[in-house]
Amino acid sequence: MEMIFAGLLDSLSPASLMFVFTGVAIGVMIGAIPGINGPMAIALFIPITYYMTPLTAIGFLVGLNKGAFFGGAISAVLLRTPGTPEAAATSWDGYPLTQQGKGEKALRMALYSSVAGDVISTGVLIAIAAPLAAVALFMGPSEIFALISLALTVIAGIGTNSICRGLIAAAFGLLAGLIGTEPVTALPRLTFDVYQLGGGLSLIPVAIGLLAFSEILIQLERFTVKGGGEHVANVFSTKREDRMLSFKEFFSKIKTLLRGSFIGIGVGAMPGLGAPVASFMSYDQAQKRSRDKEEFGKGSLEGIGASESANSAVVASSMIPLFVLGIPGNLAVAMLMGAFMIHGMQPGPLMFKENAQLMYGIYGSLLLASLFLAVIGRFGLRLFCKAVEIPAVILYPIVIFTCIMGSYLGRSDMFDVGVMLSFGVIGYFMRKFDFSYVAFLIGFILVPEWERALQQVVIISENNPTMFFQRPVAMALMALTFFVIGKTFWNNIKAGRDCRAEKVKAPAKDEND
Amino acid sequence: MTRIQRETIANLMIVGFGILLLTWAIPTYTPAYPGYGASPALVANVSVGVMIAMACLSLVRLLLARFAGKTLPAEEGQFPEEAQSTGFTQVGRVNLLHLARFIIPSVLLLAAIEYVGYVPAAFVFLMVIQYFIGSRKWLQSTVVSIVLVAVLYIVMRYGFGVPIPGPQLF
Repeated sequence: MEMIFAGLLDSLSPASLMFVFTGVAIGVMIGAIPGINGPMAIALFIPITYYMTPLTAIGFLVGLNKGAFFGGAISAVLLRTPGTPEAAATSWDGYPLTQQGKGEKALRMALYSSVAGDVISTGVLIAIAAPLAAVALFMGPSEIFALISLALTVIAGIGTNSICRGLIAAAFGLLAGLIGTEPVTALPRLTFDVYQLGGGLSLIPVAIGLLAFSEILIQLERFTVKGGGEHVANVFSTKREDRMLSFKEFFSKIKTLLRGSFIGIGVGAMPGLGAPVASFMSYDQAQKRSRDKEEFGKGSLEGIGASESANSAVVASSMIPLFVLGIPGNLAVAMLMGAFMIHGMQPGPLMFKENAQLMYGIYGSLLLASLFLAVIGRFGLRLFCKAVEIPAVILYPIVIFTCIMGSYLGRSDMFDVGVMLSFGVIGYFMRKFDFSYVAFLIGFILVPEWERALQQVVIISENNPTMFFQRPVAMALMALTFFVIGKTFWNNIKAGRDCRAEKVKAPAKDEND
Repeated sequence: MTRIQRETIANLMIVGFGILLLTWAIPTYTPAYPGYGASPALVANVSVGVMIAMACLSLVRLLLARFAGKTLPAEEGQFPEEAQSTGFTQVGRVNLLHLARFIIPSVLLLAAIEYVGYVPAAFVFLMVIQYFIGSRKWLQSTVVSIVLVAVLYIVMRYGFGVPIPGPQLF
């Protein structure tokens, strides 16, 4: 109990409060800019957290992520261009409201739904992470190895239409993560005699290159070919009822918000699914169960609430696998895991034992971030709406230069800038050829732990080839891994067949017509 | 170039890269087996093995598609994702000229910083980048460049105490 109070008091220190507040404010601002999302913002800002204490650094990044999730709704509502993929469903009802001059009302609904989803999800995280972590402590290296294998397999399917390309990306990530000093012999491995690679590739330039720089290269390509110049529609009506959201309007959607929150919690807790899935699932359920089904897609506050409560609930719940098992469920959490590692901590069940005070401090920061999101969103909404109008010719140079100098900040070495540029180009090609950069990054982050577990298993079992079949949980997890691979391949083949069958049917139908 | 051709080239490059790693890079730059635990090359070999196996599988699929005359879209636009509702997949044609326009100045910046220092190199870099992005307002470009260079200089030097790269004028 002392630890809990000490941790919560830490989170209330002036420095922690300031950084969480700043993180949320920057996150909302960045999330509002189309094309810049939470993980990208985390990648850009991780270098400055080098100079913070672990609690303020994690608090700042968590605030940034939470803010970016809501920020994504701003451009979705005002421009019908979701700032983040998970805000796509929000745009379906938000933009029609904006066209009716009720943009501010839509944004308020998005804000309060986000805060509701976020608070409920944070509560669930606090309630269940520590007890589950206590159970997870009984896992040995065999189970950890099997679990990471399963996580990598599940995550290989993210962000690509092909499991083959997902697995190639994950394997490439593993390979990149092996560069550096080999843990058993303490000798350099795959360093090509480049002394800067002796300590391995640093996460910061790799993440900035893959997430931010390559994304900007793609966006610039679109911008230079097609041009920009989207303008915000009529957002702020002079009529009070068009601007404000009444208690009655909000609380009449409470069932939808609760349902959305729990969908978000469930989806977030499962590695690999992510916020867009939660958002679309919740929207679909809300539409099916609503009394005003026909309003969906035309400016329904319920639709906005369903989407936003679900995607915001994912933020905290996706930390459950991280805190319980040490496995990142999605890209934003993978970046947070990287931040933990930069500050010398290995996320996982042991954290509750070794860094209990810090963990409760992080819980406090999570709750504070929700509170700050409500306050900043409530009073700064009009200011953040201006962020969507920043001209691209000013925004892109800022982001490019921040990518370059951010990579330098980590180790004060221009070599890291070269690494960032290289991974920027690799990321550009990965996106163009549909290779999952998410799988790459998660493989890159998880490989040290995966290899450590493998070494432990091999040493303990004295090179016994049946080592994974001696422990039932490990065996079940390995079986599940192979099942997931088989099932995903089968689904791909089936989807291909269905697609071809439809193509064959379509011309036949045309001929009949 | 058709999508089948692009994917074939990509997969062939992965197979070639994998073979190079397996036959040269991993044996040359991996420590010898110390006699206990797993070999330091094991995870690397398995990873490359998975890469080659998956690329070969994709090649077989593409080959079957070609012989069966199946229709992957013959020609695709630069931004085919815009047809999708979520709009976040970015599969499409590679624009090497565009890539060069932003990568070459960045690489030159790396070299220039070492010789002329952070302030002039970064200023010129930002002016060039803004020109390539399409800005023709020289005053605006100059102000953006000066402000950005100054802000990051102050943040690095006085905020974080990080050494500024390259020779310094002041």
